[in-house]
Amino acid sequence: MSAARAYRRTGAAECFVTVVRLCAPLLVALPLAAQNPPPSQDSVGRLWAPSMLQERAPTSARDDDSLVQALEHKIRCTCGCNLDVFTCRTTDFTCATSPAMHRLVLARLDSGKTPDQVIASFVTQYGESVLMQPPKKGFDLLAYVMPFVGLVIGLGIVGALMRRWIRSRPVESPPQPGVPEPHASSEDQERLKRELEKFGA
Amino acid sequence: MADLGNIALWIAFLIGLWGAAVAFVGGLRGRAELAASAERAVFVVWGLLFVAALALIRSLITHDFSVEYVWQYTSRNLPLYYTVAAFYAGQKGSLLLWAIVVSTFGSVALIANRGKYRELMPYVAGIVLVVATFFIAVMIFASNPFERLAFMPPDGNGLNPQLQNPGMTIHPPMLYLGYTSITIPFAFAMGALISGKLDTGWIHAIRKWTILSWLFLSAGIVLGMWWAYVELGWGGYWAWDPVENASLLPWLTMSAFLHSVMIQEKRGMLKKWNMGLIVASFLLSIFGTFITRSGVISSVHAFAQGKVGYFFLVFLIVAAVFGFSMLSWRWTRLEAESKLESMVSREAAFLFNNLILIVIAFSVLWGTIFPILSEWVKGTKVTVGPPFFNQVNVPLGLLLLLLTGIGPLIAWRRASPANLKRQFLWPTAALLVTAVALLALRMSDGWAIAAYALGAFVVGTIVQEFVRGVGARHRLHGEALPLAFVRLVGRNRRRYGGYVVHLGIVMLFVGFGGLAFRKDTEATLKPGQAVEVRSPYGHTYRLVHQAVSQYEQLNRFVSAASMEVYRDGKFLGIMKSEKRQHLNSLGQPQFEPSTEVAIRSDIREDLYLVFAGSVQGTEEAVYRITINPLVWWVWYGGMVLVLGGLVSMWPGGGGPTAASRRRAEPAGYVATVSG
Repeated sequence: MSAARAYRRTGAAECFVTVVRLCAPLLVALPLAAQNPPPSQDSVGRLWAPSMLQERAPTSARDDDSLVQALEHKIRCTCGCNLDVFTCRTTDFTCATSPAMHRLVLARLDSGKTPDQVIASFVTQYGESVLMQPPKKGFDLLAYVMPFVGLVIGLGIVGALMRRWIRSRPVESPPQPGVPEPHASSEDQERLKRELEKFGA
Repeated sequence: MADLGNIALWIAFLIGLWGAAVAFVGGLRGRAELAASAERAVFVVWGLLFVAALALIRSLITHDFSVEYVWQYTSRNLPLYYTVAAFYAGQKGSLLLWAIVVSTFGSVALIANRGKYRELMPYVAGIVLVVATFFIAVMIFASNPFERLAFMPPDGNGLNPQLQNPGMTIHPPMLYLGYTSITIPFAFAMGALISGKLDTGWIHAIRKWTILSWLFLSAGIVLGMWWAYVELGWGGYWAWDPVENASLLPWLTMSAFLHSVMIQEKRGMLKKWNMGLIVASFLLSIFGTFITRSGVISSVHAFAQGKVGYFFLVFLIVAAVFGFSMLSWRWTRLEAESKLESMVSREAAFLFNNLILIVIAFSVLWGTIFPILSEWVKGTKVTVGPPFFNQVNVPLGLLLLLLTGIGPLIAWRRASPANLKRQFLWPTAALLVTAVALLALRMSDGWAIAAYALGAFVVGTIVQEFVRGVGARHRLHGEALPLAFVRLVGRNRRRYGGYVVHLGIVMLFVGFGGLAFRKDTEATLKPGQAVEVRSPYGHTYRLVHQAVSQYEQLNRFVSAASMEVYRDGKFLGIMKSEKRQHLNSLGQPQFEPSTEVAIRSDIREDLYLVFAGSVQGTEEAVYRITINPLVWWVWYGGMVLVLGGLVSMWPGGGGPTAASRRRAEPAGYVATVSG
């Protein structure tokens, strides 16, 4: 499998990992050590070229909290990316703003603020444009209302038009279906013209 | 070669000006030799643009970095196909692509209609030339792909890593084909208005074109979604970005046109409306470009800004004024030939379908430009993001889905109660059964339940139509069922192709409904550590981090993180997500590291794995794991959609209907010719 073949390591790292793997059974064999696995940095192989990818802070279980995620979907990252904080921090790993805003969200929740208060604090700090959708009040309410106003107006126009058309129907005589009409399409005419020309020539 | 391209552009510009002028003079004065000259000008402009395109491709593949465009978007170590695709990686090349596609479509339209529609053709040639010349003028005066640098850099800047993806090589041209091909229906519509030949002749001429451009737009949009999904790494495919919205707008108006044009063909109604839709579609396709190029609305696609935006704004205004004043000039001659007979008729259903499509288009346009409005009125900017668009468009979309099911069930002219009962019984049963089943399964999202129930309703409609059609052929002609099926579709390609398109739409909605159940999990894992994720179906995925390996590949340095994936304890395979640091020819890093996601897709759900980065330069990796239910349905729905479109427009299978042909010309005209 090509995926498996891809795991080429450079000498030093490979040796290190081999040593770690050889030691692994020993760890299992020692019950005391197995009960308290020391989460030391040393047990993890260092990358050959760490500068070739982004450095990330370890995540915590709180990052998966549905409340935190829902809040961050409502707040816009201010780095200019047009994304919400959650999407930005989990997609654009070059952005330093969204992780900072994420920490702010956590800190504000920790300080005992309700979700609504957290949102309000961001609005005070950054202005209304920090919200992913316009607030439903004042002029911005128009954003939500207009499509449905459009729908109602459209329904009104279409309804009125249809009624007028139906009412005016008996006055104007509709074409009788079934009666052949001496109509010909443009294509037919062109053919007719051509054939007449040929005939004439 | 670049100089040759530049010269070709200039000659094309001059010939385009000449051709556009003589086209209108020839048409208005009835001078056939001028009209013929204009038609030849279209072919010559096409040839010259072809030369210019070849010149640009040659500059690209020979790495002529003295050309600014080549320097900006390629580098010596860029793989060949991306080097060629860099043709449209930037604005300047995109303009050239646009111009050449317009002139190609124009040439094809002229050849395909040779000897037909003589009164219309000079104007068709004229409009095509005006549009093509406009694009050439923008290139020459504002954004020239052949512009030279004052020196010869040793290497180029390289292509944005996110554009180095197979989806990117095909999505933009497809979308451009859609945008540009709308020029041809617009040209015919304008030809009909200017010449006063307002019978359905022009509609017959553009039948295939409108389906074709709708098809290109659809394919371009779905491919764009696919590219966003596999490459951008946020786990979604539609972000309601202004540029995505801009591509959706003409698609919506074209979809409306494809329905309402049937009423014009069958009943001679809605002539003004259809004209208006074609004009609007063309304007919206230009509007899309304007948004992308001008930078008036911030967007991920707004890769270049500057005076090009003004060119497009002026062109947009001129085209709007011209198009709508032509329409109002001929307003009184576009009266309907027959009247609506009942509110409960196919015609009425199509009117409502058009209304919903236009309201959706309006709401998308409204949301897109609302930040500007709000800034004008209140002085403060607001963000109009996905939550807004979803909130507004989900109900409207479901309404549209409902009408997709209702439309084919109602008879033309007037539906009787008995007929309605016969038609609605089974689809409604499908709707109710689905809704009850989903409620019993405790599906939590009301909108999703509505989407699936309505989807079942539409599928019920389609299946019923096919079953009844095949059954009728089987009884009347004694054909075997498979043969009856093939003949049914083959002899009514437009109708049954349309049903296949509806099926594709339902599949898309099934996929969209899955978005309600998306689940994101983040995990930081050392090699050997595992994380468990529960899917909405109740499965438990167990993902074990294996290692991070690093290696060079093509023009990049790859850090690949891999995971073993188990579902309910069963080993499924290894998934590998990468960080790619692109390198220049000297092996130095260029651009920020980009992410390649790993996706495991099946008909139920996608497992979407993103390697976010490493902790302190070790193999300890940070992952984002997304479970995306039903995304598969979006891609396959897109394919079914395109398949249906192809069936509809496949040559043969009967031309315009008899009713439409009858309507193509007033009776008197035939009498004068033959008399």
